[in-house]
Order: sequence, then structure tokens, then C-alpha cells
Amino acid sequence: MMDTQWETYEVFHQTKRGDPHVHVGAVHAPDPHMALQMARDQFARRLKCSSIWVVRSKDVARTDYQDETFFAQATDKSYRDPKAFEAPDKGEH
Amino acid sequence: MALEVPSNIPREPLLRFLVALADDELVLGHRDSEWTGHAPILEEDIAFSNIAQDEIGHSLVWYTMNEQLGGKSPDWMGFERNWKHFTSCHFVAHPKGDFAYTVIRQYLFDVGEQVRLNSLCSSSFVPVKEAAEKILQEEGYHIMHSRSLVERLGNATNESHTRMQAAVDLAFPQALGMFEELAGENELVKAGVFSGNELLQQLWVESVVPVLTAASLKLPVDTKNGTMTVHAKADEGGRKGWQKEHLKQLVEDLQTVYKLSPGGSW
Repeated sequence: MMDTQWETYEVFHQTKRGDPHVHVGAVHAPDPHMALQMARDQFARRLKCSSIWVVRSKDVARTDYQDETFFAQATDKSYRDPKAFEAPDKGEH
Repeated sequence: MALEVPSNIPREPLLRFLVALADDELVLGHRDSEWTGHAPILEEDIAFSNIAQDEIGHSLVWYTMNEQLGGKSPDWMGFERNWKHFTSCHFVAHPKGDFAYTVIRQYLFDVGEQVRLNSLCSSSFVPVKEAAEKILQEEGYHIMHSRSLVERLGNATNESHTRMQAAVDLAFPQALGMFEELAGENELVKAGVFSGNELLQQLWVESVVPVLTAASLKLPVDTKNGTMTVHAKADEGGRKGWQKEHLKQLVEDLQTVYKLSPGGSW
């Protein structure tokens, strides 16, 4: 059967200018212009909003949940953590 | 807060004008709300529910002004009034039908509302002018949405085009009913309250024809030397209170809950 669903677009919402755009969900739409309108109705009607981005879902490169080696941290790397450097409580400057 | 009518503005035609505006908005808002849970796609379901609430909100603005000028309360107008006393045009009460009809109706109505509000922004009656300026801000988004759908569905597939053309054939003569002359209208025009339905209709035709034509939709309109002439019989009578059964059914639905417990509040 032919897929009659529109494509999905990921929606990124910014509360006020200068804040990061935060991923809030996705909408179905036939093109980017309509996706912005759909996103406005789904996500910007009750939330305060200064800007919205939409990105075609299939254009988002993504990691594979099955590929655990991508994020593997096998050896001890605690020396990289800020906690490895102890600052005196009252340092002299 | 009671409002005074300046002595140069005739009171009865002014109230009639406000109630006609409000009735159109309430009735169309109710029809739009009938898509809640039934629209062809979830996003449009939410969009139309949102538009429905906006239109009903606009009706509240005009009903409230009617009350401030000595008319009945907005609740009475919506929930207690007999359907035969509504003065909405037949266009807005027509059953929602195909989604294509809803899209075309919404677009034709949105542009009608826009040209009316634009004219009211220079109204000599200041409360009307201020309300129009406020509502107009919301109307921009409505038009963007309904126009986007018209442009896409008119030119998408054979099926979408055929359904949109059928919707236009039905809706266009009905839509002309939005501009039916009101009793006492000339006095309001003379007092500078608004610019009159004949002029509004001309502005509306000049707005919708290019958009519908670009969407490959045919209209009963001729253009000669830049002047557009309509060849269709307007579906009128609503402004005179000659209502059809469609409105009766709608008003019964609208008033069902209220009538279970008249005067109740929540």
C-alpha cells in the first residue's frame, strides 16, 4: 500500500532570543513552510515562543542505539574530569 | 462598563452591525470545532480546533461591545436566543461537509474578515476601531494557514483539485452572502463607522480571485480592464433573519449543555 502519510519534521523551540533552540517533538507536514505552521499550532500556542526551527526528520544524522562501541569509555579517564584538580578553598590570587 | 454612542452614529444599525459580525464568528467557530477529533490529519485537527477557539473569541469581543451599548449579554446571545433571531449569513452555517469545503470556506471567510477589519481600523467609532486592530493581529495567521492549504490542494492531485473545485462552486455564491446589505447600513457608512458592504465585497473579490486562480480553481468572475465582475447569485437572507434548517441544528447543538441547567456556571 502506498504511504499516504506526510513526512515528519523535528521541531525546535526557543523561548526567548539568545536561548538555545530545544527539541520539543515532531509534526507531519507536506513541506517546510507548512511544517512551521503546524509546529506553531502544536508547540507555540501555549508556550511563550520567540523562534521555531523545523528540520526534515530524515535529514537528521543519528547514532544507532545498537552500536554501543560508539560511546564506549573502556579505560579509566577520571583524570580528565574537573574533579582531578583540587583547588584550595582559599587560594591566594 | 457602559459605552456611549456618539450622537452622529445611529444606535440601532450599529448594534445590528455588531451582532451580525459576532453571529458570523460564533457560527463559523462552531462549525470549525466540529473537526475536533475528525480532521483528516492530527495536525489539522489541532489547527482547526485552534482557529475555532479564535473565531469564538472574536464573537465574544463583538457581543461584549453589543452588551456595553445596551444589548443582551454574550451568554444570552449565544445560549438563550432563538435560532430564528440569529443574523449570520447562510455561508457560515452550512454543514462542514468535505474537508475541501472547510478549507475553501475558511479561506473565503478569513479574507472577508480581513477586508472588513481593515476598513474598521479607520472607523469613526473608537471602540470598534480598537477591537478591529486587536483581532486583525490574529487574523494574519488564519489567512496564512487557510491560504497555504488552498494553494497546495488546488494544485496537488486530480482528486484534490476536483474536490477543491466542487467546494469553490458551492462556497463562492454562499460567500457573497457575507456582504448582504444591512438595514440602516447607509447611515453607518455616512457616520464613518465602516465603508459599506458593496465596497468590502469588491475588495474581497480582488483579493481572493488571484489566489484561487493561481491554485487552478475556476470562479464565476470576469476581469475586463482591471475591473472584476461577479456572475453569481449571492446566497442572501441571513442578515434579515431568514435562516435555514442548518442553522437550527447548529444552534440546538450549541445550546444543548446550557439548556440542561439554564443560568448555571462553571
